[in-house]
Amino acid sequence: MTRILRTFRFLVIFVILGLTTGCWDRNEMDDLALVMASGIDLTEDGQLEITLQIALPTGIPSAVQSGGSGKKSVIVISASGKNTSEVTGKLQQQLSRAIFFGHRGVIIFGEQFARHGINQVVDTFTRFPESRSNSYVLTTYGGTAKEILNTPYQLELIPGIGINKIQSSKLSFPVKIDEFLNALSSQDRSPVTAAIRVINKGTDKETFTIDRAAVYHRNQLSGYLSSDELKLLRWWTGRGHHLRFTVQVEPENEQYGGTVGVELLQSGMKMHLVIKNDLPEIKVSLHATVRAIDNDSKLDLSKVNHMKRVETLLSKKIQSEAESMLTHVQKVLKSDIFGIGEEVHIEYPYAWKKMKDEWLDIFPEVPVTVDAHIKIERTGKTHSPAHKEKTD
Amino acid sequence: MKTKKRVTDPFGNKLKELDKTIELKISSELDDNETALAQLFANCSDLVVRKLHMFGSIPGMVVYLDVLVDDQLWDDGFLEPLMQPEAASSSSSSHIYEILNFKLASIVQPRIATNMNEVVQSIVRGEVVLFTQSSMEAFSFGLKDKLHRQLEEPATEAVIRGPRYGFIEKLDINLALIRHRLRTPRLKTEKLCAGRLSQTDMMIVYIENLAEQSVVEEVKKRISSIDMDSVLESGYIEELISDHPYSPFPLMQATQRADLVSGSLIEGKIAVLIDGSPNVLVLPITFWFGFQTAEDYYTNFIYITMLRWLRYLFAFLAMALPAIFIAITTFHQEMIPTSLALSLAAAREVVPFPAIAEGLIMEITFEALREAGIRLPRPVGQTISIVGALVIGQAAVQAGIISAPQIIVVSVTGIASFLIPNPGMSQAISIIRFPLMLLAASFGLYGVGIGLICVLIHLVTLKSFGVPYMTPIAPFNPTGLTDTLIRAPWRVMRRRQKQTQRRME
Repeated sequence: MTRILRTFRFLVIFVILGLTTGCWDRNEMDDLALVMASGIDLTEDGQLEITLQIALPTGIPSAVQSGGSGKKSVIVISASGKNTSEVTGKLQQQLSRAIFFGHRGVIIFGEQFARHGINQVVDTFTRFPESRSNSYVLTTYGGTAKEILNTPYQLELIPGIGINKIQSSKLSFPVKIDEFLNALSSQDRSPVTAAIRVINKGTDKETFTIDRAAVYHRNQLSGYLSSDELKLLRWWTGRGHHLRFTVQVEPENEQYGGTVGVELLQSGMKMHLVIKNDLPEIKVSLHATVRAIDNDSKLDLSKVNHMKRVETLLSKKIQSEAESMLTHVQKVLKSDIFGIGEEVHIEYPYAWKKMKDEWLDIFPEVPVTVDAHIKIERTGKTHSPAHKEKTD
Repeated sequence: MKTKKRVTDPFGNKLKELDKTIELKISSELDDNETALAQLFANCSDLVVRKLHMFGSIPGMVVYLDVLVDDQLWDDGFLEPLMQPEAASSSSSSHIYEILNFKLASIVQPRIATNMNEVVQSIVRGEVVLFTQSSMEAFSFGLKDKLHRQLEEPATEAVIRGPRYGFIEKLDINLALIRHRLRTPRLKTEKLCAGRLSQTDMMIVYIENLAEQSVVEEVKKRISSIDMDSVLESGYIEELISDHPYSPFPLMQATQRADLVSGSLIEGKIAVLIDGSPNVLVLPITFWFGFQTAEDYYTNFIYITMLRWLRYLFAFLAMALPAIFIAITTFHQEMIPTSLALSLAAAREVVPFPAIAEGLIMEITFEALREAGIRLPRPVGQTISIVGALVIGQAAVQAGIISAPQIIVVSVTGIASFLIPNPGMSQAISIIRFPLMLLAASFGLYGVGIGLICVLIHLVTLKSFGVPYMTPIAPFNPTGLTDTLIRAPWRVMRRRQKQTQRRME
């Protein structure tokens, strides 16, 4: 009997302790403003402007009220101020529900803000416990993050989820916030993000596209890579899934465009480096097996010599493209977005110790040679182009 | 093993006095006996006292309770041989006993009663008592009415494959059902009796050398120390001889299936049969027993292994799913996948209650519906389910009182609780559900974790007649896993049985 009494006493104390502390982090789902994406910009007067895209559950179609009935599914709000905590406070004053970053999948840096330097905000992402470390980071290419977040996107209910899905598919250049911050804080690689821009502006087909990469030098945006360069960057960083390349195999004429298009099946990159007179020398080889997906030329890919020719031309093209990208990145942007420094760090730790502090100054001078090996593995169901006339 | 405290009842003293009055000697005069019995059985309209001359010459008196005696037996088997004129050489009781023994061999062995107490006991048990003139002894014959219901399939433990017979309310028939399956003299049956007014017969059944003798003794000790006016059902016994009467978990299995009891006996368990109850107690059992059915051993073992995992999973869901749902939606929204979080938020948009209130309303309603369905007569019971489904499922969501996801959670929980084969286990798990929900609403998943740890601590402290409740998982015993984690094929299980047998011998 005493045991029961003791248990009861303990329970009473437990309940009183639990209920009288006065703080309770309980939150019902309908008291939360679920932030789907947030953007950070710099205003004209040098202040921080944060834009939030918040899901509107009433706009989500459900069985009870079908079809969302033309309601908006997000609201976008902005506020500006000196630092993030101040701005978040201002944003909260506009909302009847608690701002909740637990579902933020996308963080967008505006171009102006990124050029000015991202230090003052970055700390928030690591310090704030609700903040997810698997959110994707993007930088705008022209325009502001606010514009991007206000851009409609038809395919998903919520544009933020649309951006998130694009990034999480293998067909883009996804950089998560933790990778980005790792690169930012380490000496042996520079941060890089995908770049997003608005297209068809002002028309009813307005939407966004992610077709470039934004390259950072230390903590500032230093420039962009074009679409073609982004493709090679993806290959280089092991995200070469389904990349497509087109090569001109013969001069254009009336009948044929003279191009062959291929898609990567398996791609890879090998880096070979040696240290010569305190400077690393790097040989990079890009290799891939591809499948032909279109052939607008006289060539018959089932014939070995034709296939070899296409392979050689492809390899040459990719090699020259890669070289031009390297030149762009090394001489103009001066950012080690490939993580070459990391490779040196791993292979030659003692040599790295000497150069790590001025690595970003050394990097543009590092000689890098590229070669590419392409192998066509599948030619599809047909050998020669379908519209090729039979010559008996 | 703890020794049981005696269970006392407020009427105890009164009854003891009553017992004292019966401490009478049997008189050699029939009339004295008649008056004594008439006093004892005052106002008992079904008491029959008949004076007759046995074998044509010896005066005797037959006393019995009319309703308990089988007419056919009485007429053909008892009265007819008794009334045959036969020269009885003497009227000494031993002589009469011999004659009766010989004559009535077809029915039953007559027993000799030496005092009034025994006589009364015989009468209330439905036996016929025969007094003879100038004898200090009486004879009692069991002419008990053999009326009982048909053997049917037990409603609670239906099987697809397996015997259809279930136990009924008659002890000897129940025992016969077990004897049918275990044809060995090593099947021991020890008779006991409990309940001062009800005088309920019980039988402890076990297989010698397979069952632990110490456990058998312990069960006997506990049953004989029961001090109650009446023992009407096996539930009384279960509670009174349990090691932990305050635990919600069943420490004995009550079953109506003879095959299950026989199987358990072979495993070295002990069965307690109680007269007047179709439920037979099997002990000692472990936690995992609550998730096994008799059919597990008649069906393909691969399928049953899958089923067992399903039962364990759903048992966990029945216990913790509402709690986990409440905890995650009110404390850990970041754990939910984004798209699901959005639809949950959309569903909750119109609901006025906090999640815990929703959950409690629905769970309580569900339990009420379940209870109503059991209590109502079957034709009406059908309508309950329809009303429940319509009112609760459809209308509550339409009216925006309860969110649809909560309905789904409650339904899954309900189905899960029906999946557990053992009703006692199912009840225990349903009881635990509510405190877990409250913990979840106050402390989130942390609270659920604490609650589950408490449940686990309770489970591992339990013992059923000296056997730790969580064996073979805790304490760990790999050979035992062949019948908990999986249902191993018989060739593996038989090996295990041989091992236990050798250990016993």
